[in-house]
Amino acid sequence: MPKVWTWTLFRYGVALAAGGVVGFLYDRPTLGVLLVALGLLVWQLYNLYRLERWLAAGQIAEIPDGDGVWPPVFAKIQFMKSKVKRRGKRFRKLVKDLRASTEAFPDGGVILNARHEIINYNQAARLLLGLKNRRDRGQRIENLLRYPDFVEYLRNPGDRQAVDIPSPAGGDTWLSCRLIPYGPEQTLLLIRDVSQRVKIERVRRDFVANASHELRSPLTVIMGYLDALAEDDRIPEAWKPPIGVMQDQSIRMRRLVEDLLQLSKLESGQSVPKDRVVDVSAMISAARKEALALPEHPDHIEIELASRANLLGEETELQSVVSNLVANAVRYTPAEGQVTIRWSVDADGGHLAVQDTGIGIAEEDIPRVTERFYRADGGRARQRGGTGLGLAIVKYALRRHDAELEIHSRLGRGSTFICHFPRDRLALS
Amino acid sequence: MESEGFSHHISRRFNAELEHLRSEVLRMGGLVEQHLDTAVEAITSGDSDMGLRVSNDDHKINKLEVSIDEECRKLLATRMPAAADLRLIVMVIKTITDLERVGDEAAKIGYLASHLATDREPYASYTELKALGEHVQEMLHDALDAFSRMDVDDALAVIEEDKLVDEEYDQITRQCISLMMEDARTIRRFMDVSWVARALERIGDHAKNIAEYVVYLVHGRDIRHTERETVLQELEAAKGDRPISG
Repeated sequence: MPKVWTWTLFRYGVALAAGGVVGFLYDRPTLGVLLVALGLLVWQLYNLYRLERWLAAGQIAEIPDGDGVWPPVFAKIQFMKSKVKRRGKRFRKLVKDLRASTEAFPDGGVILNARHEIINYNQAARLLLGLKNRRDRGQRIENLLRYPDFVEYLRNPGDRQAVDIPSPAGGDTWLSCRLIPYGPEQTLLLIRDVSQRVKIERVRRDFVANASHELRSPLTVIMGYLDALAEDDRIPEAWKPPIGVMQDQSIRMRRLVEDLLQLSKLESGQSVPKDRVVDVSAMISAARKEALALPEHPDHIEIELASRANLLGEETELQSVVSNLVANAVRYTPAEGQVTIRWSVDADGGHLAVQDTGIGIAEEDIPRVTERFYRADGGRARQRGGTGLGLAIVKYALRRHDAELEIHSRLGRGSTFICHFPRDRLALS
Repeated sequence: MESEGFSHHISRRFNAELEHLRSEVLRMGGLVEQHLDTAVEAITSGDSDMGLRVSNDDHKINKLEVSIDEECRKLLATRMPAAADLRLIVMVIKTITDLERVGDEAAKIGYLASHLATDREPYASYTELKALGEHVQEMLHDALDAFSRMDVDDALAVIEEDKLVDEEYDQITRQCISLMMEDARTIRRFMDVSWVARALERIGDHAKNIAEYVVYLVHGRDIRHTERETVLQELEAAKGDRPISG
């Protein structure tokens, strides 16, 4: 036991004993002890009162003195108080620094809870989203950011990395919004101003679309004259072959221009509505017929239909997916090879596979074959009449139908292109 | 927003249902806004595909209107709401009608845009229509913002804006008339232009209606067909006795 306590107990004992002795002199020993005890009680109460007052007064009041056990109690409380004060100061500074750094952040950040209510946001977010100070805290984010794409993303954040939406604050500002879940049921909404990128993309797309459009009319004129020349008997025989080559090349060029136009249309990657049913088997047999009409084609082009389900989407786009894949397979498959088109449905959705026994693709080329004008084998495909845009068209058309393209291939053995369609794109009969 | 009016129900389910209703209306609003944006862009950029897309997508809005309407009826029947909750539901029923009309007008604009885009010489990319369109877009956006924030001041500002929109519409009409008189061959085109302007002006009116419903929702005062001064006086007087909340 600390000395101060022994000493206090000893003093109280002495005081009570003295009270007893004095009481004994007056023949009332109990009364004497009681009076002293009462005095001690009053004294303790007084000190307790001072302690309470001192604590209530806060930091400014002078530390009270007392006696017995009270001075060490006061001193310890004083010590704790100053420690808490110092720590509080440190925390406040830390919070202030943190807030200042998030304020300085050029990207907008909004913290959302599990119900998408706004908990906090920084200065950049306030400006980019046009939030109103204080009042918008607690508001659901989708009530203010009503753009359908964003609402969709908020409901299924797993589907995409980020969405681009026009800023609700107006102007030509485009924002890229990304949701990053963290902590227990909290989400950080990261917002970046991507107006510049969106603008450049739009300029590029418009340029390609306009350029291809403008190229089409002179090309039509040239083709018309070439057709007339080819049939004109007055043209010397020696000129016939060059005119034939010119005709072939102008047909190729028209196809190129048309593919470019189609691609630029597909690129504006909005999802295609699910309100129209597209007959898969009709689509596949049309693609087969086209392939058989090509001058060189493999002997066997087989169709395997494992399901009677159809697809929901845009018929012309889906048809160009199938036709391009089949044409591609046919182009790279020798006459004795085989091309198989399969359609099957399972729990994951629909799968359209086009398999060939052609030359195959080297592993390092697979990720790049869907790029525009990418040639895995140098000049060979060009002789076979491809535009170099087919697989790019396939990729973008599939993206508009929420589908994915999977490619398996081995050099010399052949390739398989599989389109995976999600379940909600299927029309199950 | 938990803090406003309908936050203190014993039934937490009811709260959640009202919250959901609000979010659905705003989702519908978002869709309508997007349609309007696309329609206006189709006009100014002369993109006929874009215009046709808007006029074909109108059914999505109609579907949402029906489902929200159904939800309102269910809430009325099962919860028998009073005061602020009742006002919210009444207001929602009216708002979705206006939003659906805006959708129709946007579809009409989209259709006209596809017409105008096929025209041989687009007329100066329709700068006046663009200005009017942007003005109306802003009004609709602000009206829906005022609803989500329950902000009476913003709502009153939207109501004021409608006068400017009406003026702009008059100007476009006058301009169309004088251009038609100059050259009779352009009559067809400028008829279309004035139809677009008319549709935009109607959208402005619908946005104004929505703003008026917001005032009704927050203060319980119907301010339709009332002069602005009277409205402001009434609202000032109403500040003392806060609305009868549920």
